[in-house]
Amino acid sequence: MRIFVETVGVLAPGLQDWESARAVIVRERPYVAAPMAAVAPASLPSTERRRSSPAVRLAIAVAEQALQRTPLSPQDMAMVFSSFEASGVITHQLCEALAGNREVSPTQFHNSVHNAPSGYYSIAMNAKLAASSVCRGKWSFAAGLLNAAVQALADKLPVLYVCYDSPLPAPLCDVMPVIEATAIALVLTPAPSPKSLAVWDIALNPGDGETAWPDWAPAAWHANACVRGLAALATIADPACRVAALPFSPELNVVVSRC
Amino acid sequence: MTPLSILAYTTTSAAGIGKAATAAALCDARSGLVPNDLEWAPLKCWIGRVRAAEELTLPAAFAAYDCRNNRLALLALEQDGFVPAVAAARQRHGAGRVGVFLGTSTSGILSTEIAYRQRDTHTGRLPAEYRYETTHSLNATTEFVRGVLGLTGPAMTISTACSSSAKVFCLAERFIRMGLIDAAVVGGVDSLCGTTLYGFNSLQLVAPDICRPFDAARHGISIGEAAGFALLEKEGAAAQTPARTSLRLLGYGETCDAYHMTAPHAEGDGARRAMLEALGRAQLGTREIDYVNLHGTATPSNDRAEGHAVYGVFGAATPCSSTKGFTGHTLGAAGITEAAITLLSLEHAFLPGSPTTRALDRETHCGIVLRGRPAALSRAMSNNFGFGGNNCALVFGKDG
Repeated sequence: MRIFVETVGVLAPGLQDWESARAVIVRERPYVAAPMAAVAPASLPSTERRRSSPAVRLAIAVAEQALQRTPLSPQDMAMVFSSFEASGVITHQLCEALAGNREVSPTQFHNSVHNAPSGYYSIAMNAKLAASSVCRGKWSFAAGLLNAAVQALADKLPVLYVCYDSPLPAPLCDVMPVIEATAIALVLTPAPSPKSLAVWDIALNPGDGETAWPDWAPAAWHANACVRGLAALATIADPACRVAALPFSPELNVVVSRC
Repeated sequence: MTPLSILAYTTTSAAGIGKAATAAALCDARSGLVPNDLEWAPLKCWIGRVRAAEELTLPAAFAAYDCRNNRLALLALEQDGFVPAVAAARQRHGAGRVGVFLGTSTSGILSTEIAYRQRDTHTGRLPAEYRYETTHSLNATTEFVRGVLGLTGPAMTISTACSSSAKVFCLAERFIRMGLIDAAVVGGVDSLCGTTLYGFNSLQLVAPDICRPFDAARHGISIGEAAGFALLEKEGAAAQTPARTSLRLLGYGETCDAYHMTAPHAEGDGARRAMLEALGRAQLGTREIDYVNLHGTATPSNDRAEGHAVYGVFGAATPCSSTKGFTGHTLGAAGITEAAITLLSLEHAFLPGSPTTRALDRETHCGIVLRGRPAALSRAMSNNFGFGGNNCALVFGKDG
């Protein structure tokens, strides 16, 4: 399947956008850990921003980065969001409340659905086409990417793809150690545009579920599903890197090859 | 679009375990809902509980997956010859050419709720036996079902709240059309948990009484648990197998309201666009649809908005009903549960009614059927709408 990458957005501690991520990937500069600045997506009205969760703000902020670099309108895009846990903070708050007096707040509850970022995003952008929210555990990046590429090609429309990991508090982080926020956004198109950054052939190949991590990526990110997408971004950033195998299951990789 | 064959399907909910029991409940106007008797969630409401799933034991190889959601998944898988039908598809196409796409809203979060009640009082740690990845994770049931069925093709979970297990049909159609797979197991599983019971209650959307879709005096939802699956395949691919079927997926529509996180658009604009897109993909006019299975949650706002949208698209003549009075609102499993009920209606030539609805809301102008009745049906639509304004409509047909 041949798909066109229109734009990229990246958010992680020490990587505030695609430029800074690109420079680290091609080793123009070393990765330097730095706390992530407060994420405040401009498209979310302040009332909605306050009601939303950190996961929602992270996902929308990285989507905004990708949208800033394309003349394509978010209203003409289908949407695919993917995440392992979505919002661990909310899961923790709900489970604590249920273990206590069972008083759940309505805001917590609506923020607990896996598609909360997709819902807030569609409201913020007035985006009314199809929106999906995907989970494939630690392989969620590959699953969401494949879903997005298939949708773009099958229905011949641009697709916004966002994969994000929002930190989990204790005690959940003992069993699911996502401790830093990371997010990647892509706009994929079924045909080339003047802005296209790369052309990818996407295929399914046998795999073993394991990830080859870039040596600069902090070990603290290894529980984050979206970080497994850095290998795909390397095929855009680095002329020496043409192929990336993204684990999708115990038996399958989604293989991205730059044309 | 090119239709897909539905080679097998199955549904398990409070209304019945398997197709025959569910069809009997529909024909007999027998609700599966009961007053809430969950000792761990003492909330005044009615629920759709599948007790038979609670005592089930998972195969030893899958012991790590043991939780309420996966027990319910296994109970449903074991009905209606579904596993042998998938085995035949695996034989025809190879295990890697059959996808698994399941919907859920809360997966096995009940396991985490229980673990939080058992936290160490000094350290706050979760009990050692708690397993996040194989119970709580939204991927847990998909991986479990994939393992039980011996499939190695593309797999993922869709979680768009109450449209989750309708949208998996759309995903499967695109994967088959793009040639990545030849067949797909689609479906969904959602089980009772404190998160949804107390969460919907916090939004004042849980009825203290049994749910009464489109009733003038409706007060909200009754939450149910359910699991169901369907096997989809390219038309003609199974022509030489004895298990021929005449059921097909004809079209689908997916939209967002872009309006509010928990309330539907007042005029049901997103629902309307989803229905129109589904008709467009199926290349059918509204008069060619014989029945619409409504989302019909029995909240005042959903039924008002959906009734408005359905009347706008179909007028008053097309028979429609919400079957949530039989099953309860099965949330992430509502899509597959109501797809299965729609397919049962086509197969049994029966229009389901709404057994818990007493007096129809006078503001409702679409063609609500309150009492089920026999009717020859060729094509039918099933609607599901979720939080985040996430809408999906499916169109199914029967040959001949």
